[in-house]
Amino acid sequence: MGLFDRRGPFRRTSEGTYAVTLGDTDRKLLGDLVVQLRSLITTDSPALARLFPPAYGDDEERNAGYAALAGAELVERRLAALDLVQSTLEAEELTEEELSTWMRSLNDVRLVLGTILDVDEEHDPPEDEDLVPMYATYEYLGYLLERVVQALAS
Amino acid sequence: MSSTAPLEVTVDPELDDLLDEDRPWVVIVWNDPINLMSYVTLVLQKLFGYSKAKATQLMLQVHHEGKAVVSNGTRSEAERDLFRLHEHGLWATMQQD
Repeated sequence: MGLFDRRGPFRRTSEGTYAVTLGDTDRKLLGDLVVQLRSLITTDSPALARLFPPAYGDDEERNAGYAALAGAELVERRLAALDLVQSTLEAEELTEEELSTWMRSLNDVRLVLGTILDVDEEHDPPEDEDLVPMYATYEYLGYLLERVVQALAS
Repeated sequence: MSSTAPLEVTVDPELDDLLDEDRPWVVIVWNDPINLMSYVTLVLQKLFGYSKAKATQLMLQVHHEGKAVVSNGTRSEAERDLFRLHEHGLWATMQQD
C-alpha cells in the first residue's frame, strides 16, 4: 500500500473526493516538514526567496511596494494552507480543495528545499554529503507532488 | 478627406498618466529548475481556466524559451494574477507591455 500502491497514494473516488493511502511514516514526515516550514516562513531566511519572488523584476521601488502590499497576505495564505495540511494529516479522504491546498504546501516545502540545495536543471545529487538526506526528501516530495497533480488532473 | 483645419491636440498631463496606466500589463512566468512541468501546467489551467492544451503549450514555452506571457490586463488585474501565481509558488513578474 502507500507508495507501492499503483493507484495511490492519491486517488480520485467516484464521489469526487480523493482517497489518501499514505503510510504513517510518510504522514509523519509531511507533518515534520509542515512544522518546519511554519516556523521558517515568518523569518527573513534566504531559503524563502522562491516563495516571495520580486514582482517587477529589477524595479526595486515597485518590488518593495508590492512586497509591502502583498507580502503579509502571501504569508497568511501559506500559513492557512499549512494549518489545513496539519489538521488533515491523518485523513483518508480529502476534498478537491483540501488536496489542492496540500499541493500548494508540498510545493512550498519543495521550493524551500530546492533553494537550499541550489538545484539546477541537471538535478545532480549534491556533492556535500550532509545534504544528501535533504536531497532525498526533495526528490520524494517531487514524486508525491507528481502524484497529487496526476490525481487532481484526472 | 475633410478640408477643415486639423484638430488641435492638447495633452493634459494627468490624462496622459491615466492613458499610460491603461496600457496593458503583461504577467510573465519564468523558467525555474524546481517547479514540476505537470504542476505548472495544472496551475495555469486552474488559475486562468486555460485548456490543458493551451496550458501545456505555455508551460513548454516557459521551459524552452525561458519565459512566457500567461495573462494581460490592467495593472490591478495583472497584480491579482501575479499574486495568485506567487501563492502557487511560480516565479512570475509583471511589466507594462
